[in-house]
Amino acid sequence: MHGQVSTYQRIRPPVTAVGGEHDRLIEAVALRRDREAFARLFEHFAPRLKAYLMKAGAPAGAAEDFAQDAMLTVWRKAELFDSSKARAATWIFTIARNRRLDVLRQDARRTPMPEIELSQEEPERPDQIVLMAEDALRLKSAMARLTADQIEVLRLAFFQDNPHSEIARRLDLPLGTVKSRIRKAMIKLRTLLDDEKGGEA
Amino acid sequence: MTGGHNPSEERLLAYAAGTLSPPEAVVVAAHLAIRPQNDAWVRALQAVGGRLLDDLEPEPMPDDALARVLARAEADAGQVLASTPLNDMVGLPEPLRRYALGPWRWLGPGMRARDVHAPRDGDCRVILLEIGPGRETPRHTHGGIELTCVIHGAYATETARFDVGDFEEADTEVLHQPRVVSPDPCLCVVALDGQIELDGWLGRLMQPFIKL
Repeated sequence: MHGQVSTYQRIRPPVTAVGGEHDRLIEAVALRRDREAFARLFEHFAPRLKAYLMKAGAPAGAAEDFAQDAMLTVWRKAELFDSSKARAATWIFTIARNRRLDVLRQDARRTPMPEIELSQEEPERPDQIVLMAEDALRLKSAMARLTADQIEVLRLAFFQDNPHSEIARRLDLPLGTVKSRIRKAMIKLRTLLDDEKGGEA
Repeated sequence: MTGGHNPSEERLLAYAAGTLSPPEAVVVAAHLAIRPQNDAWVRALQAVGGRLLDDLEPEPMPDDALARVLARAEADAGQVLASTPLNDMVGLPEPLRRYALGPWRWLGPGMRARDVHAPRDGDCRVILLEIGPGRETPRHTHGGIELTCVIHGAYATETARFDVGDFEEADTEVLHQPRVVSPDPCLCVVALDGQIELDGWLGRLMQPFIKL
């Protein structure tokens, strides 16, 4: 479909078994509306999507609705999934990310939030960082090299509503320290993913 | 890292996580549409989010949840998802074209603005601001945060120059007076929180600017 996809597939190492299996399940939904494949995706991701919204402070019922809506989007948009651009978990995370504000702010807003579209055409020269981040093993090893503190701020930054003040409260740190800790974690992650040897330097 | 003025790491992360307020997210989205390197980084961060999602402790779903989703999928089989119509300002980065725009308002000589009907967040709103060559805004500070992304042209403050795609974060601490340094008008998208506060009696003559 896209010129750069074949190149990308050639240089891309095999993904881990579980991640790859989820990719195939989404493709089965796209190709054949495969309910069995969807059921297995649902079994894995729906309880995690529920947990994701509960981390942001939503009650269980609202989090269940959110998980069901997100999984319905997986069913409807399965054709847009491109395993050469994103792993299943990444793609589903982005669906959840694009929905979360609409749900957490309980006003009947009709205007859409800016969405991230993983399936859209990449820029002419796709940045290498994307290829590297989508290499599950490399990302795993990069994240393993972050300190426990850094992983903790990342996790809170991804899951909390009002993340900065919430992180400050939880970790009992001044706001400025939280921001600089996030900044350090991000720069380290960038360096690890940028570095060809996965952060040997 | 990339050259030019970029959003802070924590703001890019908040955008990637979906926790940034809507007006701020609109300005960051415009920036990412112009700066592919930062866009690539935000996409890479989606993979981090995906891994963290995968690692979450699952919360059990009700027994009938799957059946209910499949029933809804059945009910709307073949439904085409409507896409948002685009506004008529073809020069805008794609994320900004999804929002309706208010009429241009005159702010002063060579200076005009129009509202971007993106979701607001309390007092924080999004506007397009166009300023002619050689013109400058009144010297001002802000009641809250001001995020700016340059779409056309360039401006300079006392300390830095901002070209197409550059991103400026100003807050209540910053007192500045941007001046357009490009030969063409400079068009920016701005997320503004709180009142603009003008500095000095001359600034107060620029009443329309306060109403931004």
